[in-house]
Amino acid sequence: MSLAAEAYVSQIAAADPWPENATLYQPLKEDQILLSDCASSLAVQAYLRMCRLPVRVRCRPNAEYMSPSGKVPFIHVGNQVVSELGPIVQFTKAKGHSLSDGLDEVQRAEMKAYMELVNNMLLTAELYIQWCDENTVAEITWPRYSSPYSWPLNHILAYQKQWEVKRKMAAIGWAGKSLAQVYEDVSQCCQALSQRLGTQPYFFNKQPTELDALVFGHLFTILTTQLTSNELSEKIRTYGNLLSFCRRVEQNFFEEHGGDSDAGASPRFPKSPSLI
Amino acid sequence: MGTVHARSLDPLPMHGPELGVHVDDVDLVEVQPETKQEILENKDVVVQHVHLDGLGRTKEDFLTHEIADVFTAKNLIDVMKKSHDARQKLLRLGIFRQVEVVIDTSQGDGALPNGLDVTFEVTELRRVTGSYNTMVGNNEGSMVLGIKLPNFLGRAEKLTFQFSYGTKETSYGLSFFKPQPGNFDRNFSLNVYKVTGQFPWSSLRETDRGVSTDINFPIWKTNHTLKWEGVWRELACLGRTASFAVREESGHTLKSSLSHAMMIDTRNSAIFPRRGALLKINQELAGYTGGDASFLKEDVELQLNKRLFWDSVLSVSLWGGMLLPFGDKPTCIADRFYLGGPTSVRGFSMSQAPGRPHQWDYLGGEAYWAGGVHLYTPLPFRPGRGGFGDLFRTHFFLNAGNLCNLNYGEGPQAHLQKLAECIRWSYGAGILLRLGNIARLELNYCIPMGVQSGDRICDGIQFGAGIRFL
Repeated sequence: MSLAAEAYVSQIAAADPWPENATLYQPLKEDQILLSDCASSLAVQAYLRMCRLPVRVRCRPNAEYMSPSGKVPFIHVGNQVVSELGPIVQFTKAKGHSLSDGLDEVQRAEMKAYMELVNNMLLTAELYIQWCDENTVAEITWPRYSSPYSWPLNHILAYQKQWEVKRKMAAIGWAGKSLAQVYEDVSQCCQALSQRLGTQPYFFNKQPTELDALVFGHLFTILTTQLTSNELSEKIRTYGNLLSFCRRVEQNFFEEHGGDSDAGASPRFPKSPSLI
Repeated sequence: MGTVHARSLDPLPMHGPELGVHVDDVDLVEVQPETKQEILENKDVVVQHVHLDGLGRTKEDFLTHEIADVFTAKNLIDVMKKSHDARQKLLRLGIFRQVEVVIDTSQGDGALPNGLDVTFEVTELRRVTGSYNTMVGNNEGSMVLGIKLPNFLGRAEKLTFQFSYGTKETSYGLSFFKPQPGNFDRNFSLNVYKVTGQFPWSSLRETDRGVSTDINFPIWKTNHTLKWEGVWRELACLGRTASFAVREESGHTLKSSLSHAMMIDTRNSAIFPRRGALLKINQELAGYTGGDASFLKEDVELQLNKRLFWDSVLSVSLWGGMLLPFGDKPTCIADRFYLGGPTSVRGFSMSQAPGRPHQWDYLGGEAYWAGGVHLYTPLPFRPGRGGFGDLFRTHFFLNAGNLCNLNYGEGPQAHLQKLAECIRWSYGAGILLRLGNIARLELNYCIPMGVQSGDRICDGIQFGAGIRFL
């Protein structure tokens, strides 16, 4: 299909209202999903909840390959398939749902800069820890990533993925970093976020934006996921306002739906007894 | 047929400047052969020695099986016939470029008066042969590089490597072939490959990386193949607009299957047969040897040909197949059957199983049947008869077929009924061109009937090429 035709289809799609049966796809929650994918998926879920757009969560072992960009999560809305937070934000905007409309140009630029910071620091650190730290790779990443596949495919695919991530790390200059340096980067990123947040309820005061969804997705996932060591979550726990921010987003956007019959929609993690 | 020299059976060399110099010698040459030849033709002969000249890396013990029959010949005609058969057998091994047979009377110590020596003068193929092709098709250009090592261990083993580098896809295959000594039809082969295919009618791209090993052997008039195949299949969507059902099948799976194929082919030619029948039965059992896919797949192909008046041939073919999944996993899009296209049910493009929710990609079916009746005739007024014109045929055809999914619980009766209702059929006529003895091109005018909603039809001219046709 040509580019023009695709643009036309997305315009047509934009005219349709948000359907009831919109679905978000992610890897299997219990046995397969990794820290970074879980964080990205939670960020998208938080964003859609902030927009008050209903979405059902479905877990598929092949979610990564179903996604048009090869990255999870992706949403299936009507005939459209959109993956990752950035394009999903654009897509909902085309349908008339936006969280950042109230911001001025400067704030919007600032929001984008902080989102880039989170993606470059937190997401990359998550990828680094889960694919480059030998302990985590052996104990968590390999068994989980290869769980849906039988021998010898499990080894081939996990190795392929690890090689891909390592190549990316080398390209952005993270290959030579030690784990301690990565923790330090995370700490610095959290400090920047903490300073920006200050005493406000959300990053841009009263109204949550996609930045809030992204930060919540990553921080909440790191805080509630059991890794080989607690060091990563400890770094975040030193910033009190970030903790209460996570608690606030969880209360305002996830717990009110607690009684929802659709159990798949709430981000209840088996290893997340409490935040504080 | 090659040159079978039955040199004059005299003990003297026929050539050389010394001949004709002495009167005695000339007498010998003129008189002796005639007398001897007369005797030998009626008399029993004994093949004393069989020589193989020109062998390099080929092991002699491997060839003794092929030429052993020559020793059993009892008279000259028999020797010539058996030598000729042995020559054909040697050529069939695919290790010699040329084989010539020389039959001579025995010489030297212990030579019997009625003893013969047979000499096979062979020229071996080169150690390595290569080929290079470029191909253009399906909006893709590719370069194909082939390397063949015939007879690389000396016993007709063959190692073939083919590498195709395309603008979109890269494929390769490495195959090792070894026949049983003395019985070329019994052979073993081992293959390693990567193949990528794009199926636009399903918006699917499939990459297979696999290992397979098979054994071929004849039993009576049938040929059997037993095969194990382990394939890593990677399915992906072709573009964003692929329907969600195809998207859901994306990802990596492993298939390990055992299959058995049986074939009886009594046709006189594979492409434009005039008489004879073909029966092919293929069964594949996946899942018992590991892997993610578990199913039993049966596929049957039957073709009967009957010669009628004026060189025209009536051909009837019938195909059928069924895919039974085991367990609760549904069947994979890559295993299902597809029907339609210019060499199966003509007039239809790749057909879709009824009963599926509306979508725009073909997902295949779990059971199918298709049948065809053809009347093949030579070209009208037979231009180029006995030459170029024989590569062509005209045909009139009537095709029918159907495809369905097996939803278990309904019972076989319901499935049969499903296959019997809403039959897609078509008729028409066209011109065929034979390409070698493996493929044919068709240009048909088709009139599709029994079109179901969701079918893609080709009303009018349809062009097709294929090696398997209904």
